[in-house]
Amino acid sequence: MPISGVVITTRPEDLDQTQRFLAACVGVEVHGADDQGNIVAVFDTRTTGEMEHLLKTVNACPLVLHAGITYLNMEDVVDDEGLNSGTFR
Amino acid sequence: MAQTRRDFLKMTAALSAASFVGVQLPLQEQQLAHAKDAEAWHRGTCRLCGVGCRLELGMKDGVPFALRGVADARTNYGFLCMKGMHFWQCLGHKERLKKPLYRAKKSDPFKEISWDKALDIAASQFADAVKKNGPNSVAYYGSGQCLTEETYLFQKIMRGGLQTNNVDGNPRLCMASAVGGYLGSFGADEPIGSYADLEKAHCFFIIGSNTAEAHPVLFRRIMRRKLDNPEVKVINADPRVSQTSRIADKHLQFKPGTDLSLLNAMANVIIEEKLHDQAFLTNYVAFKQGKEGQDASFEEYAKFVAPYTPEAAAKTCGGKITAEDIRQVARWFATSKGTMSLWCMGINQRKQGVWANNLIHNLHILTGQLLKEGADSFSLTGQPNACGGVREAGGLCHILPGHRPVEKEKMRNQVEEAWGVPLGRIPAEPGMHTMSMFTGINEGKIKAIWINCTSPAQSLPNCNLYNKGLATDDCFTICTDIFKTRTTEFANLILPAAFHFEKTGVYGCTERRQQLTRKAVKAPGEAKPEVWIAREWAKRLAAKLNDPVIAQCIKPFEGLEEDFALPQAIWDEYTQKLTKGRDNDLRGVSYAVLARMADGVQWPAPTEEFALTGGTAKKFVKGIDPMADSESKNDLPYQFYGPAHEDRKLWIWLRPQADPSEIPDAEYPFYLSTGRIIDHWHTMSMTGRIPELLRANPHAFVEINPKDAEKLGIKPGDMIEITSRRGTNVLPAKVYEGPIEGTVFAYWHDQEANRMINKVTKDDYDPSAKEPEFKICAVKIKRISGPKPLTPFIVS
Ligand code: SF4
Repeated sequence: MPISGVVITTRPEDLDQTQRFLAACVGVEVHGADDQGNIVAVFDTRTTGEMEHLLKTVNACPLVLHAGITYLNMEDVVDDEGLNSGTFR
Repeated sequence: MAQTRRDFLKMTAALSAASFVGVQLPLQEQQLAHAKDAEAWHRGTCRLCGVGCRLELGMKDGVPFALRGVADARTNYGFLCMKGMHFWQCLGHKERLKKPLYRAKKSDPFKEISWDKALDIAASQFADAVKKNGPNSVAYYGSGQCLTEETYLFQKIMRGGLQTNNVDGNPRLCMASAVGGYLGSFGADEPIGSYADLEKAHCFFIIGSNTAEAHPVLFRRIMRRKLDNPEVKVINADPRVSQTSRIADKHLQFKPGTDLSLLNAMANVIIEEKLHDQAFLTNYVAFKQGKEGQDASFEEYAKFVAPYTPEAAAKTCGGKITAEDIRQVARWFATSKGTMSLWCMGINQRKQGVWANNLIHNLHILTGQLLKEGADSFSLTGQPNACGGVREAGGLCHILPGHRPVEKEKMRNQVEEAWGVPLGRIPAEPGMHTMSMFTGINEGKIKAIWINCTSPAQSLPNCNLYNKGLATDDCFTICTDIFKTRTTEFANLILPAAFHFEKTGVYGCTERRQQLTRKAVKAPGEAKPEVWIAREWAKRLAAKLNDPVIAQCIKPFEGLEEDFALPQAIWDEYTQKLTKGRDNDLRGVSYAVLARMADGVQWPAPTEEFALTGGTAKKFVKGIDPMADSESKNDLPYQFYGPAHEDRKLWIWLRPQADPSEIPDAEYPFYLSTGRIIDHWHTMSMTGRIPELLRANPHAFVEINPKDAEKLGIKPGDMIEITSRRGTNVLPAKVYEGPIEGTVFAYWHDQEANRMINKVTKDDYDPSAKEPEFKICAVKIKRISGPKPLTPFIVS
C-alpha cells in the first residue's frame, strides 16, 4: 500500500477541470493547488503496480502536462503488517 | 484527534509535494515531529538517467522504506520520476547475482566458485592473453553507469599496468558525437552552462530528444518555465511527434537525416536577415572547413549556407515543414533574450553525429546565444555517469583522465608521472573503440574482455553480428553485473557487483556536477564493489606477469577497506593528481566537500573554498569561472581555455547536408528509428525486474503512422515483421500519429530474441566519433497476423 506525494501540473486555465478529473480517480487525494496550475496530491494505492497505473492514467489525461513525484513511501511493501495499527499524536 | 500511521504518511507526502511548489496546505508541519521514526535518510543520486536527481533513501532496520527528492538540489529541486522512484527495488532483489559464477567453455553450465578462485581465473586469462598475443589482445568495456572511481581504476590498470589503451565504454554508443561536437566547436568537452539556464531561457530549441520521457524531471522545469512565461518559445524539431511536443509552439517534423539542412537553413536566415552577433563573431570566433579544419571566413560561411534556402530545406526535410516555419524559428532562436538548445540521441546516434552537433553549436556561436543567462548549447546525457566517469576519468580509448588526448606525449607523461610508472608505459596509439573492439572479437584479435555493468549483446547495433564472436570460446569473457543479462549468456566468468547505495562513489551528471552517494545498504550475498574487484584482480595480475609496474598501479590503494576508504583514495588520486590545471579541475571537490553539499559541485572547482559555493555554473566567463580568470589572456570577458583550440576561439564549421548511411529504397522502403520508453532503462535488466515497470510496458512495440498503416492494412495491435538487411523482429504495432510518414519507431529495451531491435539496426558509425547510427536505417515491414498475447522475457 504505497503512498506518494505528487505535483500535477496543468495550464492555469485547465485547473478546475483537471481537479474534477483527479477527484474522479480512485486513489487520488487533492490537497491543494495554486493559480499557476500546480496541484498537490497524494496517491494512495493498494499495490505499487496500481500506483504506476494511476500515474500513467493521470499523465495520459490531455489536461495534465506533467506529474512529478516528490515522495514515495513503500514501507508496507517491505512490511505489510500493522500499517494502520500504530497511533501517533 | 488520533492520527493513524497511514494519515501521517499521507500528510508527509502532501507536505513534501506542497513544499516544492510553495503551496500552503492547511496542515501543520509540527504534527510531523511526533512521528516515531527510527529512520535514517541517506543522501545520494538516482541510479538511472543523466539528469542526476538528488534523493534520499530512507532506511529502517536495515531495509529501505522510502525515497524522497532533495528539495534544495539544483538538479531536481525535490522532484523525481516514476522510474527513478523504483530503482531501490534492485537493492536486495531476489534475482541479484550473489556469488561468482564460472564455466571454462561457453557451452558448459555455470558453477559457483569462490572469489579467490574467480579472481585467479580472471588474472590468469588476461595474463596468458598478454603473454601470448601482446597487450592489445585484451580489452575493458565499461559503462556510463559505473562510478567514476571504478572507471578510473580499471583504465589505470589497463593502460599503466597492462600497457593497452583498449579501454572503451557504452558512452561510445550515446555520447561520443557530443564529445566530438564540443571539442570541435568549443575546444572543450561538456556544456558551458547549467540546468539553471532552464529557468532563464526565453527560447528552447529541443531537437532529437524526447525530453518528456527520457529526462522527465528536466522536462518539468522547461514546462514550468513555459507555463509561467507564455511568451517563452518552445521549438521541438524531431521526425516524431512525442510527449515533448505537447508544450511546443512549433513542431518541426522532418524526414530522418535531413536536419543538417534544417540547421544550415536556420543559419542562412540568420545571416540573410542580419540577426547574427557581429561583435561576438569578431571577438571570439574562427571559421573552419574540411577534414583538417582549414581556415575559412564569415563570407565563405555565408556563401556556403546560401543554397540552404528555407524553401530548399523545407523540401529536403520532407514537406511537413514550410519555408516560413524555418524563418520563424530562426528568428525566435536569434532574437530571444536567451536561447537554449537541448538534444540527445536523435542528434548523437548518427553517421553525421559530430556534424549535427557542430551545426547546433554554429547557431549559438553565430548569434552569441552563449555564455549569458538562459543561453546555451546543451547536450543532454543519457547515463548517470557518462560525463563524470567515462568522458572525464579516462573511460574512452583515446582520452586519458582529465580530458587528455592519448596521442599527445606530454599528456601521457603527465599521467605516467602521477601514477609513478615509467615514462613511455602508456602506449601512444589510441586503443580500440567499441565497434572495433567487438569487431576485434569477431576477428579473433581480442582474447580476453572485461565487460563491466553493461550489456553489449543487446545494446550494440546489428548485435547478431557481434554476438557471433562473443559466443565463441576464442575470447574469454568476464562480466561484472548485478543481474544476468543477454551478455552474461556469453560469459565465462560472472562477478556479482554491489549496486548503488551498496557502495560509495561519485556520479557526474550532464551539467558537470559531481555528486557523492555513500554506502547505506549491505550488498546481497558475496556481491562486491568493483573497486575491490579491480584491485584484487590487479594484485594477481602483477604476480602472474611478474610485473612490479602493475603492482605500482594499485599500491596507493592496498589494504584500504572497500566501502569508503578505497573509493575515497581513488577519487583523491584522480582529482588531486590528474585534474590540476585541466579544464575539469576538481581539486576542491573532496569527499568531505561533497558530503556537505546538497547537490554536489560543478567543475572547474580548483579550491575547496570555491567548491563549497557549488562550483562553476557557467564555464569561460570571468567572475563566474575561476579558470576564466586564471587562464585569462586579454581583457575580454570570455576566455576559451579548453584543451582542443590553441587559438582560444570558438569555431563555426562549414558542414554540408549528408545522407544517413542507409536510406530507404524499393526493397526496404521505410526508415526505422529507435528510442527509450519512459518506464524502462536501457536493456531493462533492472527495470524489467521491477514488476510494476514491467507490467506498464511488458514488451516492445513498433509505432507506425496511421497513413502508412492504412496502406499496409495494419490495425492497432497487429503483429508486424520488421526486417532490415541485418535482421528481423516481430513486434505488435501501435498505430499512432507519432512518426512521420515513411518512418517506423521501435523501443530498444526488450530482451526477447524476436523483439531485440538492435538485431535490425545498422552498425555504420560516425567516422570521427565512432558512434553508431542507431537512429536511422532502412527496413521493410509486413503484417503477419492479428494481435497475439506476448510474454515478457527477462534473462534468468
Ligand atoms: S529524471 Fe532521471 S535521474 Fe531523475 S529520477 Fe528520473 S530517472 Fe532518476
